[in-house]
Amino acid sequence: MNKEELLSKLKAIITPYVQNEEGLKNLNIHTDFIKDLEINSANLVDVVLDVEDEFDIEIDNESMEKMLTVEASIAIIESKLQEK
Amino acid sequence: MIGNDIVDFQVATQQSNWQRRGWLQKIYTGVEQHYILTSENPETLIWKFWSMKEATYKAHQRRFGFSPRYNPKSFECTLKNKVNVDSEQYDLNVQVFKYYVHSIAFTSKVSYTTAVYKNEREIYTKIKEKIAEEFDISTVSIVKDKNRIPVICINKENTTIPVSLTHHGDYTAFVFQKSK
Repeated sequence: MNKEELLSKLKAIITPYVQNEEGLKNLNIHTDFIKDLEINSANLVDVVLDVEDEFDIEIDNESMEKMLTVEASIAIIESKLQEK
Repeated sequence: MIGNDIVDFQVATQQSNWQRRGWLQKIYTGVEQHYILTSENPETLIWKFWSMKEATYKAHQRRFGFSPRYNPKSFECTLKNKVNVDSEQYDLNVQVFKYYVHSIAFTSKVSYTTAVYKNEREIYTKIKEKIAEEFDISTVSIVKDKNRIPVICINKENTTIPVSLTHHGDYTAFVFQKSK
């Protein structure tokens, strides 16, 4: 899976939780889930669970800690996919 | 150090499905899950613990200057309104009402001022007025540092006072530190 495919899958996952539509239009690698998209912090766990389901991977606590941006999420998904 | 967090129960119920597989396990420790699942009202305890964790996260992050991280499970709540994290313990003042829960985390010997507002307009202007009144000065501003932690600036001096703001659904609250 290349980066664009990954980004588009991630975008589909986060979209239902986004409270700032402008941030979604400008979605890029540096987008911050809370600051730019105003995703409720309790919904970040849903993002993590959706990522686990979509990619059939397990996100441990240490990785979850970093999943606050698009960039960090993609890096984590890529590394977990490689471990498979 | 201080931090606060508010949860609007009605909105939380709409936004989150706590019964989703894996949801509780990602956020709550084994001990917390036990308290929740044996509680008469699991949903209230879920959001009470959540607001305690968030309030403590804010105080702890401010105190040690961490960059943002998402580690709710590292903050363990007790039934006696304390939260343990990284071998530190915080005291919490928790108010559970019918429609919301408001938690304030603080380190010992700190005194603070707090208020909760419902559906208020121009809320941040009101909060700044309240702070200015408290310190008996004309105007204050609230600025955020690189970790997006807000502080109160008085008359553009470098004196900074910790302030924590929280908003969810119909409710907004703040707490600011009066003395160490």
